[in-house]
Amino acid sequence: MATGAMDDLAGRFADRAVRSVFIYTREAHPAENYRHHASMDDKRRNARAFLEHSKVRRRILLDDLEGTAHRAYGSLPNMTWIVGRGGMIHYKSAWTSEADVADALEGVLDFQANRAKRQWVAFYSERSAWSTRDMAKFKAGLERAGPQAVADYQRMLEANKASRAAPAEEVGPRIPGNFYRTEDESGNR
Amino acid sequence: MQSSPYNYSEFVANPEEFSEFALHAPKATMRAPSFPLEDLATGETVQMSELWKTQVAVIEFGSFT
Repeated sequence: MATGAMDDLAGRFADRAVRSVFIYTREAHPAENYRHHASMDDKRRNARAFLEHSKVRRRILLDDLEGTAHRAYGSLPNMTWIVGRGGMIHYKSAWTSEADVADALEGVLDFQANRAKRQWVAFYSERSAWSTRDMAKFKAGLERAGPQAVADYQRMLEANKASRAAPAEEVGPRIPGNFYRTEDESGNR
Repeated sequence: MQSSPYNYSEFVANPEEFSEFALHAPKATMRAPSFPLEDLATGETVQMSELWKTQVAVIEFGSFT
């Protein structure tokens, strides 16, 4: 996760009427050191360990034990959403890229400041986004969680070996964050 | 087949997870759903809608692991 970069973004935009928070979900890769949550106390304990380790400067809010908010927003492990003043969703992203969030946020602030004056009307749109995957940092996180997290992830890699061994030229290595299929996979030639 | 619990004890990639996010979760231009959350620092209950009542809200989801 780009925790530090997102904290910096929060600081840069704080005086522009932007409130940034971190919602703590289930453990994505539970293991010996940070187990899955069987109670809210488990969740609070792991969230405090996360705060201690990551020094997150944003407000941390805990979802309930059943993940009611997380499930309603799509259950992915590191999403970012931008909600405009009043409650309209302006941005939803399967993963968190500070640069992409900043770009979207500038657009949202421009829209909110100028829509009446310029008679702008919001409409639905989709686009792709991208970020660098820091695998060394990701693997360090798995090791911090414990051997089980490393083994679980390795098992997933083995299961997906064929697609990961042949990354698509257009999108790079496969991650659970896009719809892309090659022509062979999709049957569309 | 019984679905896996939300707080799974062992990570297994779920191929449906991304589709849930992309196809079934709310979309841009929809109204954001609001749920009660707990402030880690104070223990107070916070309604998500309070986050965007007077400001733009940037909401990142995540965990330690």
